[in-house]
Amino acid sequence: MRKRLSGLVKVLSVAAFAALPMTAHAADEALEGGTLRVGILADMTNFDPMQFSSVNFFLIKNLYDSLIEYTAEGEPVPSLATAWEIADDNTSVTVTLRDGVTFASGAPLTAEDVAATLEKASDPEKGKNVYPTTSIIDGWETPDEKTVVITFKSPVPTRQILDLLEFTMPIEKAGIDTVETVPAGTGAYELENRAVGQGVTLTANADYWREGEPVAETVTFTIFSDDASASAALESGSVDLVYGGSARSAKRLGDAGYTVFRGPGPLVQVFRINATHAPFDNAAFRQAFNHLMERDGMLRVAYAGIGEVVALPWAPASPAFDASFNDTYGYDIDKAKALFAESGLSDAEMSDWTLLVNGTDEAAVILSQIVQGSLSEAGIDIELDVRESAEWIEALLGGDFDATFAGIGNVQKFPSRVATNSIYRTVNNPVFGEPHPFPDYVEAIAAVDAAVGSEDEVKAAYDHLNTVLIESAFAIPTNTYDVGIVVASPKLAGFTPEIDNLFVARTIGFK
Amino acid sequence: MKAAFGILGRLMIRPGSALAVLFLTIIALAAIFADLLPLDPFRQNLLHSLEGPSAQYWFGTDELGRDILSRVVYGARTSLLTAAGAVAVAALFGIPIGLIGGFFGGWRDAALMRFVDVLLALPAILFAMALIAVLGRSQVAAFIAVGITGIPAFARIVRAQTLALRKRDFVTAVESFGGSSGYNMFRTILPNAWSPILVQVVVLCSIAILLEAALAFLGVGVAPPTPSWGEMLRTGKSYLYEAPTYALLPGIVLTLTILSFDTIGRALGSLLEDRHDTGTATAGGVTS
Repeated sequence: MRKRLSGLVKVLSVAAFAALPMTAHAADEALEGGTLRVGILADMTNFDPMQFSSVNFFLIKNLYDSLIEYTAEGEPVPSLATAWEIADDNTSVTVTLRDGVTFASGAPLTAEDVAATLEKASDPEKGKNVYPTTSIIDGWETPDEKTVVITFKSPVPTRQILDLLEFTMPIEKAGIDTVETVPAGTGAYELENRAVGQGVTLTANADYWREGEPVAETVTFTIFSDDASASAALESGSVDLVYGGSARSAKRLGDAGYTVFRGPGPLVQVFRINATHAPFDNAAFRQAFNHLMERDGMLRVAYAGIGEVVALPWAPASPAFDASFNDTYGYDIDKAKALFAESGLSDAEMSDWTLLVNGTDEAAVILSQIVQGSLSEAGIDIELDVRESAEWIEALLGGDFDATFAGIGNVQKFPSRVATNSIYRTVNNPVFGEPHPFPDYVEAIAAVDAAVGSEDEVKAAYDHLNTVLIESAFAIPTNTYDVGIVVASPKLAGFTPEIDNLFVARTIGFK
Repeated sequence: MKAAFGILGRLMIRPGSALAVLFLTIIALAAIFADLLPLDPFRQNLLHSLEGPSAQYWFGTDELGRDILSRVVYGARTSLLTAAGAVAVAALFGIPIGLIGGFFGGWRDAALMRFVDVLLALPAILFAMALIAVLGRSQVAAFIAVGITGIPAFARIVRAQTLALRKRDFVTAVESFGGSSGYNMFRTILPNAWSPILVQVVVLCSIAILLEAALAFLGVGVAPPTPSWGEMLRTGKSYLYEAPTYALLPGIVLTLTILSFDTIGRALGSLLEDRHDTGTATAGGVTS
């Protein structure tokens, strides 16, 4: 750790909040506790909050708290940190921890726990999914028991600093080495038991710091083998809520009177293009795909209309989101044909590729057939290469494909976080290799990272990145779609939006 | 040819088998002339996704707005081609294995039958899935996979027939006149063993269609957008609430096709059994 520079200037100061404005149920509706029975579709992997995999999304925010949280609109609000002060040169942040917070073991939360958590997160092996977020950190210090000062390698945009704080979920220092098997957080719930492949039971943390929470004393998660079974269980009253079901089930059950709750953190479906070889090394040929995506139909057919069409890799909550691109780069078969002609490629060259499909992803199969149909309309006939999930993932991460559909995450946070997705990586890109074939894109991401000036300067950086993304056309976004969608019995209320759509049980209760 | 028409004529006398022959004839004609369909089975119309039966779409549309009836008709081609390919693969390998094993006996018979035992021990569906995982999803891969699972049945039936015919006078007579083993197997014994083989061909057709549909239902059949009855059943299951009639037609057609093959197979077996009881085996084949 390095000593923090003196002369810290406060550019963002947040008063200590006694209570948080994050809960959706507020005080207008008194909810009763009890046992909340939740249906899920996959088992967890482990209890490490840094294992930020979607199969763990139902647990993380129930066993752990973040330093700060985002509202559904992307505004930061206090959580374990009551205040955070960012230096005027954006090279450090001082975090003040909340008093009276204890871990499940009963030990109080201290700055040492946060330091131990940052140390784990900064380790390439132990940091797991959080590690890329910590690449901006130069060091940290703990001047007292309730203060942590984090310094950065260079000036970092405010939103990126906030993302880091939101992504930091303190783990008790004494439990860090065993956190994969024994949860060690400050969350509203504690682990009671887990039956591998069957479910998990949580009980309320009696010393939880948020007043009046958790509402439900017990939460039982039951694993169902498929979406239809989970939906049937909800309809029969065997569970109170299904987390992570399909959009189509959500639509159907929503129409039948069940509560459908969508968080602000969707994924974006992206048509990924391997631009390293023909015909996709031709810019005009790639750009034609911007106009070849029948986005409205794709969203309606593959996701029951639940989501938004997007031509850029951002969710509406992202600061770089720009809806005007949806119109400019909408479905237009004539424009696509014109760009195909402009490419100078022969019909045989334009048809000489296959579209890789994840055969176990129903939506991807539909989207791929729609693109195949649009291509056919444009006079290009291609084959689908449908593979099983494991085989598809191997090809995807190894860059062994011509084109394929796959979702991307981190689309609602600081724009450069999109580079954590493999196709958008600026270094060690598994598809493009080194050197990166799109230096304009790499520079645009770097410019966004360096844009710490005025609002106009930041917006200009975002606009430039958006233009470069469209022109490079190595990845064509089609629509957002929900991960972690909640479908609940009408007797439930108090759902809390979470920026990554993680499941938050502490505010949910019975009317 | 005359014998074939004779058998067909006797099949048509039985109401059950006559209906089965009629249905399969319609299916075969549909498969052959599928390209002449008024509605393109591949043509998408996303605005008409999952519509119910109507004057324009008699059995409704699928999730991509394609005409379900057209896709079921086109799917007949997929099923029948897979069945034909599977029968060809199974017969190509199964018949020689059975002939050689039954004719020579000894270590060759033991080795070939142990190989057949190994094939029999493999669950057909798992074996087919494993093979498709290696070969990739395609119609060729599907019929090779299904065909290999049909080899043991052909081999055992032909071996049993060969063993029964091996010491018959007309076989030993050919040997006495200097006929080679190959001539005896393929020109003397095989023509006299064709009755159970014919029945097995029909039975394997029904098994192959069912297996192809099962593979497609499990998501490892022919790749989309090629229509397949099993794939339509699989997708229809996903849209059971939105479009309850989606899987109806492919389900009915698949069931009736398998039932028809099975009915014809049973009738053939019965007819040829009667024929065998009254017939005479010769080096030229069965005469009655």
